[in-house]
Amino acid sequence: MSTLPPGFRIQRETNTEEFFINMGPQHPSTHGALRLALRMDGETIVELVPHFGYIHRGMEKQAESMSYLQYIALSDRQDYLTAIQNNLGVVIALEKGMNVGVPEKAEYIRVMLQELGRIASHLVFYGCFGGDLGGQTCLLFGFKEREMIHDILEEVTGSRLTTNFFRPGGSRYDVPDTFIPRVKAFLDHLEGAMRDYERFLSKNIIVLERSVGIGILSKEDAIAYGCSGPVLRASGVNFDVRRANPYSIYSQLDFDVPVFQNGDCYDRYKIRIAEIHESMKILRQCIDKFPKEGPWRSKEKPVRLPVGRYYSEIETAKGLYATYVVAATTGEKPYRIHTRGPSFPHIAALNKMVQGHKISDLVTIMATLDPVIPEIDR
Amino acid sequence: MYVPSVTHPIGDFVREWVPKLSAYLPEQLQSQTLDTIVAFLVNAVICIVAVCAVNIGSAPILIYMERKVCAHVQCRLGPMRLGWHGTIQTIADVIKMLFKEVYAPSGADKLMFYLAPLIVLIAPFMVAALIPFDKNLVVSDVSMGIPLIIAVNGFGVLGILLGGWSSNNKYSLLGALRSGAQMISYEISFAMILLFVVMISGSTNLMTITQSQAGTIADWFIFKIPVLGFIGFILFFISSTAEMNRAPFDIAEAEQELTGGYHTEYNGTPFAMFYLAEYIALVTNSALATTCFLGGFHAPCIGVAAVDNYLTMVPGVVWFFAKVFFMIWCYMMVRWTFVRPRVDQLMDFEWKFLLPVNLLLLGAGAAYIVICG
Amino acid sequence: MGIINYAPKILDPIPGGKYIVNLVDYVVNWARANSIWPLTYGTSCCAIEMMSSSMARYDIARFGSEVFRASPRQADLFILAGTITRRMAPAIQMLWEQIPGPKYAIAMGACTISGGPFIYDNYAVVRGAQNLIPVDVFVPGCPPRPEALFHGLLTLREKILKETCRHPWHVGRPKDVSTMDRYREAAKTWAALEEMKDEEMAEARAKFKEEHPDYKSAFKPIRIKKEEFPEVPREPKGAAGLTQSELFAKLRAEFPKVTVHTHSEDPIEDVVAAIPADCPLEVLVEPEDYLSMVKFLKENPDFDMDYLIDITAIDYDDHFDMVTMLRSIGKGHKLFLSVQLKKDFSISEEKRPTALLATIDSISSLYPGAEIKEREVYDMFGINFKGHPDQRRIFLDKDFVGYPLRKDFTHSEIIRRPV
Repeated sequence: MSTLPPGFRIQRETNTEEFFINMGPQHPSTHGALRLALRMDGETIVELVPHFGYIHRGMEKQAESMSYLQYIALSDRQDYLTAIQNNLGVVIALEKGMNVGVPEKAEYIRVMLQELGRIASHLVFYGCFGGDLGGQTCLLFGFKEREMIHDILEEVTGSRLTTNFFRPGGSRYDVPDTFIPRVKAFLDHLEGAMRDYERFLSKNIIVLERSVGIGILSKEDAIAYGCSGPVLRASGVNFDVRRANPYSIYSQLDFDVPVFQNGDCYDRYKIRIAEIHESMKILRQCIDKFPKEGPWRSKEKPVRLPVGRYYSEIETAKGLYATYVVAATTGEKPYRIHTRGPSFPHIAALNKMVQGHKISDLVTIMATLDPVIPEIDR
Repeated sequence: MYVPSVTHPIGDFVREWVPKLSAYLPEQLQSQTLDTIVAFLVNAVICIVAVCAVNIGSAPILIYMERKVCAHVQCRLGPMRLGWHGTIQTIADVIKMLFKEVYAPSGADKLMFYLAPLIVLIAPFMVAALIPFDKNLVVSDVSMGIPLIIAVNGFGVLGILLGGWSSNNKYSLLGALRSGAQMISYEISFAMILLFVVMISGSTNLMTITQSQAGTIADWFIFKIPVLGFIGFILFFISSTAEMNRAPFDIAEAEQELTGGYHTEYNGTPFAMFYLAEYIALVTNSALATTCFLGGFHAPCIGVAAVDNYLTMVPGVVWFFAKVFFMIWCYMMVRWTFVRPRVDQLMDFEWKFLLPVNLLLLGAGAAYIVICG
Repeated sequence: MGIINYAPKILDPIPGGKYIVNLVDYVVNWARANSIWPLTYGTSCCAIEMMSSSMARYDIARFGSEVFRASPRQADLFILAGTITRRMAPAIQMLWEQIPGPKYAIAMGACTISGGPFIYDNYAVVRGAQNLIPVDVFVPGCPPRPEALFHGLLTLREKILKETCRHPWHVGRPKDVSTMDRYREAAKTWAALEEMKDEEMAEARAKFKEEHPDYKSAFKPIRIKKEEFPEVPREPKGAAGLTQSELFAKLRAEFPKVTVHTHSEDPIEDVVAAIPADCPLEVLVEPEDYLSMVKFLKENPDFDMDYLIDITAIDYDDHFDMVTMLRSIGKGHKLFLSVQLKKDFSISEEKRPTALLATIDSISSLYPGAEIKEREVYDMFGINFKGHPDQRRIFLDKDFVGYPLRKDFTHSEIIRRPV
């Protein structure tokens, strides 16, 4: 083939007739407005080129004319499945600049909401994984338990999806009295539900056939491409920001970082299931230790950052979420805010994973990477 | 002159009345051949109407049933607003589809594009004509029933291939080629299972096959030959699911991968026809399974006269459709429970597993007949 | 033209024929209104709420709309879930054209109504779906709850029930715009009532003042006392790996020109030592040292910086500050390299907004993940990367003019935020 479209690079000398398929921007399994250009040899993928930007909303430019607090609301709209976690990422960076500490109760509220958000995101993953493999029923099962988390979030933050909850020094409101009992009830329910869900997919022979040994991402590649979160840990790298650079009170909590070695789709699925169990463990500890009394936020200060550059990183359900705030003048507005989302490198590594696989495997791999496109495009 | 006979209750009535009516015709037009032909034509029209009514009428019921089964599997309610528990939801769907705009994409082969859904409809309709619904309720009682079914079933793949190719869409083409490969492969095991049935019943006529299962439940082919019959039934279930392109073997449509496969480009009425063909195929395949394995229109007698008397009072048609709907329910439960295998795994499954098992089954069946029969 | 659109032409002249047309209208509208199949389309947050609405808790299937079609040719309803960007706009219009009529559109969420949170200072977002396709129902919210979507669906149902085949959907505008009229009437009535109330209140107030000229209100607003919160000191949590001082000392041994950005007169080591433990060390690097330094950091076993967190840049008046964030997975320390790239002011002023103003070596040969990050910096700032294998725009169209994250970027579609 003499002239390849932009982006395609591999040179092949074959006699088979190749053709190109355009997946997206409107396609049921690209998880949003992502476009994948595929170079196909029959059903086999030769090369894949992702095209981003279909949901590029210019958030970083817009943030330059917004106040810091307004940007917390924008961070909801990046990775909307873990909006509550993104809030914390921004807020920690602001706290570093404002030099504000957080009282103990607020830290517990933060950690509990973080883990609830993580479970919610992983449940969506469970649904999409099953749904993309063809089992529509899984999709609904994953969303069923997620609604219970949304009930809790709604009660605490006032919103189902875009929470906009944390503030430097604490949060917007105190949690209601019903918060702890509801989380407890939810955990008891989820314990049984997870047993059912694992029975539904984990040992299913077709799922095993479809995911074991598919889309292998080696340890070296995973690090080199900058993957993070469950994708990195499924490839055998023990890296979790909650352990490597503990923020909030994660250093006081007892939890394991599940690590799997093969880096294939099945490991990426299993690791998320294991993480749900770990999150439940963290939540149970937090329920035991939750301080009934005490302030739920630190002394209120105007959100003004001194000149400097502030960096924070947290572990969201998808991986490493970093916020880089540049304050050139002391004031309410940032000079520049940059967000590093975890899904961006995952899609970059996609080409490496799908080569030689079938188009059906691409769907499986996309599902296990669990990307959220607005977070890539911002 | 050979005129095929039609056995249904009205058939004899028509045959009786046509000569009486033709007596009013002028002398030179009266002849026995003409009477037979007219009687046959009238009967044929009645049969066509009946087959269409059964097939097309069952499709909305099945779609409603599928939506409800799917909803309840997924902890939902399903259609609730139109009629009692949404019973007339599919009627609204059908009317809407009929009055939807129809167009072919640019670059499509228009003739083939509109022909394909019609071709897809042929196979299930013809199979439905061969199924005995009751002792004297069969449209055409051909002696070579099973070979005809095997031959006719191949038609479906033609329509799908044509539809996918003429759409001028890569997804459609991929879906069509997938489904072509899949249906041709599974045709083999499908035919082999039917041969197994022919072997134990000793006939290719579907009425004879049904009649040879008369008696109690133990006489049904699924239980008649211990273990082998049940294995045969399971194999038939698998290969007919693949034959119908139903989930988990719906790789030809594969919404998550191919956004609809061969019918991606179809809209309005042609799309409704594909939809219809899918559900009529569900009826005919379930009916075939019922005829071949579940004793057709025979009541599930248990050998106790007191109970059997009551069971046999129910007309055969009712039993037949009860079994058919049980089969359909099984197909639906499987559809909403399993995930979809990949295309090459599906082929491997057929050629490396189903086919050898089928051959073994045929051998074992032959051995059983030689030893015990 | 559909079949039923011939019905009024043939039947209306016949006496009594219009009743048949009305009947046809009734039946067809009933079918259309109750069997609305949406298209699987969603770009952002609203898409998740749209999915939630079809899930077990809310169950859009009750209204017969659970048949989400992936192909636009089989859909009736286009739920515009999520922000519409300029790059997505042609795709949306194409999808709309592909849906066979009669077709309906619901604009879900604030973004599709007006641009929502992205209305100001934004170059990428289309402010409202009505600029692209005719929208039937707007559902406000950010994102709207599933119940709100259902309300939109039922409103659409009412609207469909008012259609008639005498004025087919694809010929001009429908004559029956009673929904909109009703809305306008209601708005007018509401405004009139408000005005009347205001007048009455003013009259009453004037009358009261006449009668009681010396009246003074005894009302005192009760304010809830704001909770007194203590000030909590922040404790920087120490990071693993080498400390900032060690990092800096080792780096300086190899590259003597390395400094940190500071305005103080203290020795540079003291400045480094004063950085809080949880703030990563950010060193200033000369552009010519950049590639060799990244290579050194990656291969030196003391540093072992094998993980690239991100590459980004900051635009200042006369230079770009390109920040490369590196991390060691094994050891746990982080190091940020800040490269000051002087802008190339030899380019004439009118060409500057569209020209590549600086050049730097690409590190994509060391970190494959850097490729897309560098494309992003190229796209947003117009920094040229030497040796980049595939330097194309990543988020914006290839014919987009300008580099949006530069401070002097202007775009004709930008609305400034009112201060």
